[in-house]
Amino acid sequence: MNFILVTVTLLGLTALATAVGVVWRRSQGRVRVAHTETALSAQDLGVTAWGAGVTLLQFSTEFCSPCRMTHSVLDELARQRDGVTHVDIDLGLRPELARRFGIMQTPTTLILDGGGVVRSRIGGAARRDVVSSELDRLLVVA
Amino acid sequence: MTNDPSPRLLEAGIDPRSPRFGAAITAALLLLVVGVSLTYALGVSPARRAIEPGFILFAIVTALFGWGAFAGVRRHPYGLLFTTLLRPRLSPPTHREDPKPPTFAQGVGFAIGLSGLVLHLAGLPYALVVAASLAFIAAFLNAVFGFCLGCHIYLLRARARGARGAAA
Repeated sequence: MNFILVTVTLLGLTALATAVGVVWRRSQGRVRVAHTETALSAQDLGVTAWGAGVTLLQFSTEFCSPCRMTHSVLDELARQRDGVTHVDIDLGLRPELARRFGIMQTPTTLILDGGGVVRSRIGGAARRDVVSSELDRLLVVA
Repeated sequence: MTNDPSPRLLEAGIDPRSPRFGAAITAALLLLVVGVSLTYALGVSPARRAIEPGFILFAIVTALFGWGAFAGVRRHPYGLLFTTLLRPRLSPPTHREDPKPPTFAQGVGFAIGLSGLVLHLAGLPYALVVAASLAFIAAFLNAVFGFCLGCHIYLLRARARGARGAAA
């Protein structure tokens, strides 16, 4: 293969990887509003009770650095605000939950209202400001 | 691999910039592998194919993946390079990370590399180019965007295990 074709291939490969990265990064931490009415059972997920106002239900895996960062962000928010509980579930220990909730990436965070109904979902590392405004929205409605 | 979820990373954590620095070197080397492999025509015999520059370079990169996967990222040459050369010039890390995710990712790289090498020796055209391209995309995404392919593969494996568990 000649030099120009090789160069074009290498540039194309780099451009492809960049495009994938940009799309991936834009999808990270986005809030998607859920449209369900069914309440999740706390006991089913190994939790004593859902938070009075909101529960931040985080799904993590052992081999996942962003999960650790999300864990500290959500943990701090839960400690700062009344009625907010943070639960972190290791999918390595409960792999069936990954299927049940269609989790394709970790961390994935489900935001539950006081009744245990999923109200929104955040794929990827959760940002403090995004979760905070989502809490404002749900806590006001509740 | 253990199922111990206890966070004990703070005392033993690594600087999160170290694996990304290593991934940047790996990505550059892999791009070189793709370029070199495209330049040479596929050898007629396994022995010929084993002495092609693309094969040798890719074997070195794969061996480095294996080093990270089996000896741990902290004993990896890029990790040592980061600690001795870069770390003293940088501000202290804002947080530390568990070395397990990047170690697992090295294992994924090793598996991709090994399959590329074996298929190339078997005479499959473009096996090296495809394997090195896939590994390049993963390493590039890790270095530039902090994307962790190993994490996704780990989750898919857990999902498959969960499905088997449910069926049993």
